[in-house]
Amino acid sequence: MDLYEYQARELLEEHDIPTPKAIFAQNSHEVAEAADQLGYPCVIKAQVKIGHRGQAGGVKLAHNRDEAILLAESILPMTIHGHKVNGVLVAEAKNIIHEYYVSISVDRSSRDFDVLATANGGTEVEEIAKEHPESVKRLHIDALGDFDLEAATKMADSIGFYHADGAQAAQILLKMWQCFKDSDATLVEINPLAKIGDPDDESSKSLCALDAKISLDGNAAFRHDGWQRFADSIEADPYELKAQEHGLHYVHLHGEVGVIGNGAGLVMSSLDAVSGAGKEQRTGIKPANFLDIGGGASAAVMSDSLGIVLSDPQVRSVFVNVYGGITSCEQVARGILEALDKLGSGKPIVVRFDGNAAAEGLSILAQADNPNLHVAKTMEEAAQQAARLAADAKENH
Amino acid sequence: MALFIEDGAPVIVQGMTGHQGMTHTARMLKAGTNIVGGTNPRKAGTVIDFPGANPDGSDARIPVFATCAEARERTGAKASVVFVPPRFAKDAVVEAIEAGIELIVVITEGIPVADSAYFVELALRKGVRVVGPNCPGLMTLGATPQSHGVNLGIIPDGIVGRGPLGLVSKSGTLTYQLMGELSDIGFTACLGAGGDPIVGTTLQEALAAFEADEHTKAVMMIGEIGGSAEQDAARWAAEHMTKPVVAYIAGFTAPEGKQMGHAGAIVSGGKGTAQDKKETLEAVGIRVGKTPKQAADIMRDVLAEHGIL
Repeated sequence: MDLYEYQARELLEEHDIPTPKAIFAQNSHEVAEAADQLGYPCVIKAQVKIGHRGQAGGVKLAHNRDEAILLAESILPMTIHGHKVNGVLVAEAKNIIHEYYVSISVDRSSRDFDVLATANGGTEVEEIAKEHPESVKRLHIDALGDFDLEAATKMADSIGFYHADGAQAAQILLKMWQCFKDSDATLVEINPLAKIGDPDDESSKSLCALDAKISLDGNAAFRHDGWQRFADSIEADPYELKAQEHGLHYVHLHGEVGVIGNGAGLVMSSLDAVSGAGKEQRTGIKPANFLDIGGGASAAVMSDSLGIVLSDPQVRSVFVNVYGGITSCEQVARGILEALDKLGSGKPIVVRFDGNAAAEGLSILAQADNPNLHVAKTMEEAAQQAARLAADAKENH
Repeated sequence: MALFIEDGAPVIVQGMTGHQGMTHTARMLKAGTNIVGGTNPRKAGTVIDFPGANPDGSDARIPVFATCAEARERTGAKASVVFVPPRFAKDAVVEAIEAGIELIVVITEGIPVADSAYFVELALRKGVRVVGPNCPGLMTLGATPQSHGVNLGIIPDGIVGRGPLGLVSKSGTLTYQLMGELSDIGFTACLGAGGDPIVGTTLQEALAAFEADEHTKAVMMIGEIGGSAEQDAARWAAEHMTKPVVAYIAGFTAPEGKQMGHAGAIVSGGKGTAQDKKETLEAVGIRVGKTPKQAADIMRDVLAEHGIL
């Protein structure tokens, strides 16, 4: 689960990592109030869970109240790289002397945690790694061990923090690790970790986290009260919310073929098959969603799932792909009929069953004798048929 | 020796008395797995009945022990299957490691990654093999016509018989799908590596085990978006493997930044895409099917080219 910058900043602040004074605001009135309080110039930063927002015009400097209001009005309604802006962070403007990059993350390959740091901060780390690979320093934190002041100091020295900053940098790295552990994070990234202050006054200089990205481990939500404090009502998609209420994995993809299956891998594979069919048939038909009913789903779970998928008006056809392991195709078939009884939907549904109770499931569907129910032998055939039916429905609409 | 476990090896089930544990213990027994005990401190000393669950149709009666240590002492258990809920899973796996269980198959989905990182590292240090978490388990096919294989987890029994293929996968149902597609050829073992960011047995480690297994002649590898386990495995295979590998990758349609069901199935910062995995695999000569069926067809071709069939 990714956090907005303003939420990440909160977590850093709680761990005593220096950040500029800043206020989260959601309308131009709040922005003006916040800017007045912080003083000018101040920075107005779009809150979106995607990088490169600066290049997209989502970060601007305001020199007075009027400018702050104008900028708020231009930034708040923006959609940046497909993400709707959820408020802005109004922050003190700081005089930047130098920009560092520091992060701690889960390293999937070495199965431990990774501290990454470079003296060439400011841009995305992937770009830094491409342009100055030698400048990016890496340190592994053992999954059974810990990260201590000695290691943090060594790390700070190795990336070439200015001598005067070394001690503070080591403290910040340690606090980041504490934040990472306490919050069950998978990523804590500060970029830039900036050296700020008056270039001519050595005593005014210090390190400050000007921007941060934090991702939390959704699996650890039970240790943190379900992450309620970071609940995101604005960005959340209504279908995704509904699915979540039912405990289902759903991702809205905005195409025309609703996809439901058992098991994350099989559903992903079904999405690929639908996209492939849309390309082959030259219709541009795409999957509307990812929906995994999980293992051992009951008829009720299947019925709820179909209800959610069919409530999306963009959906023209549905592809149900089940390879019954623990899941019984008979239950899935009953769930499909239950949903159709309840909803009376006229959208075509293509079903592919294999494995556990596939024959029973298919016979239940056959008995229902519903003209909107289609059965395919393989998942490839089913995807082709669902894509074709969606294209036909779209054309006739 | 079959993959990671001998035929007939004694097995315990942690979390056996829960709903999942009961259902799948009965299934594993039917598949011929030698389950000798379960653990649950609150039900220690009791015996659980599994009516008709033995392969010959007789009733199975499985004792419940308080701890893994006790279970191992009393039964000589070599392996454990873990169905314990996420919040207790770390302690359960650590307990099994400390008790000297040699193979621990963790089925549980939803374990915090910090917990998995901890028990996986602990197991690596103690020389204990962990499979999973968030996986369908490990199934081996009997080495002789008389012996049952070992079914540890939730992989359905009866899809496939013994044959020359090994299979390793990040996904459960795609495992069954490919097993179904290649059921006429047969397998030595099918291993669910798991869909979490950190797992006890990586795709690469599974390839290494199949390379070392004399009965396995070729390997089907099933990957999905997220991380670089497929690329790591491919680079390793290019240098160390003599047996052919064919792959299938799911998730070409997955958008950036969205978790597709599995905790590890996410493209972030442009990394971990299906396309990148496919290109890396193909660059080292591993052919990748566009669909599960095509991957199966490629496997047939590869087996013919290598004179395996």
